[in-house]
Amino acid sequence: MKKLIMISLVSIWTNIVFAADTQYDMRVDGLACPFCAYGIEKKFTKTEGVKSVDIDLKNGLVIVKTEDGKTFSEEKLKEIINDAGFTMISMTEKSL
Amino acid sequence: MNSNIINKYSIVKILLTALSLTVALGACASSIPTDALQYKLKHSWGHKGKANGEFNEPTGIAITADEIFISDARNARIQVFDYTGNFKRAFGNTGENSDKLGRPMNLAIQNDELYVADYFNDAIKVYSLSGKYKRRIGNSGDGPGEFNAPVGVDVADNGDLFVADFYNQRIQQLNTNGSFIRQWGTTGKTGIWSGKFNYPTDVAIDKDNNLFVADGFNDRVQVFDNRGEYSHKWGGLFGMNVSGSRPGWFTTVTSIKIGPKNNIYVTDFYNDRVQIFNTTGELIDIINIPSNGVQHSAIAMAVSNDGSLFIINHGKHEIQQWQPNE
Repeated sequence: MKKLIMISLVSIWTNIVFAADTQYDMRVDGLACPFCAYGIEKKFTKTEGVKSVDIDLKNGLVIVKTEDGKTFSEEKLKEIINDAGFTMISMTEKSL
Repeated sequence: MNSNIINKYSIVKILLTALSLTVALGACASSIPTDALQYKLKHSWGHKGKANGEFNEPTGIAITADEIFISDARNARIQVFDYTGNFKRAFGNTGENSDKLGRPMNLAIQNDELYVADYFNDAIKVYSLSGKYKRRIGNSGDGPGEFNAPVGVDVADNGDLFVADFYNQRIQQLNTNGSFIRQWGTTGKTGIWSGKFNYPTDVAIDKDNNLFVADGFNDRVQVFDNRGEYSHKWGGLFGMNVSGSRPGWFTTVTSIKIGPKNNIYVTDFYNDRVQIFNTTGELIDIINIPSNGVQHSAIAMAVSNDGSLFIINHGKHEIQQWQPNE
């Protein structure tokens, strides 16, 4: 019985840890007009696993939240930003 | 060769270069005519929000003789007001999927129909002025008649559409039912030479069917005659992708309109102003639109028959009416 409870707890913990959502804060060069912002937003909203995209024009930040444990490499994020015609300067990642 | 001579030669060369650059800058910059009209802010309305009469990043405007249509971009709707700012109706954010707007941008009105450039849905959506959805023109792609983020539209008297196809780096001319007629620019490729574009943001057709293009990140206006031939351009140093805040220069052109006297009105977004030119590009007037100190102001405008300007202040999420001094 003890074993069963332990296995269940480990299983729940594993699911929580591995299904954690992630937030990426990306600083993007030259991001200040809505024409630019919407291009990046459109690219991310069409990317699988992205839950939300927020653009902070004031600080030149793109904030992307993922769902179902989806993660992106820095190269992939750079590629999406590049496709939208911009350059990613830096990026931070945190689990939610 | 003596090194002193080389140094003297280099200094002379630098001085000559600086002199020619100064002359060139002077030649490419305009000054405001002394008889320019002085515009004053008459009234304004709106602030950030979702309710009727509030906006979340307004980006486009078109007017009739008594109504003002606003692209309320992040609220995905069109709002309609009278000239004093009283809310009348909203549409585009309800109904079936085809009716719904994604991110409405610059607008045009022709023959009692409203043409909406829909950035997210890669289409021009057409509504009656009362807000009834009528049809969709175009789909996603880079083929003839397809769009990748259309952001500006105008309609000629014969019903032909001219569309600024932002990410495809081109202007397309389509007939009333959306069939491709021709394009300017090379699909998907930016360029600074005449006839090429760098993220075009808006278009305007004058009464003689000349095409005026807001060549967004090339910081210039390009003009094509009614045969489709390149005519002339202005903005910055020789109209070659040099931005700046000197009179007649631009730092990201976001919309273009033709006024009742055939003058060309251009929003100069990063310089927080509207500049007015004649059709050859000679500067007539500048209207500085104060920003909120954080985000830029003038993103789009419309001109009424009496010369009043309705200007969208993007950073403040508000509409402003500016009137010329009599």
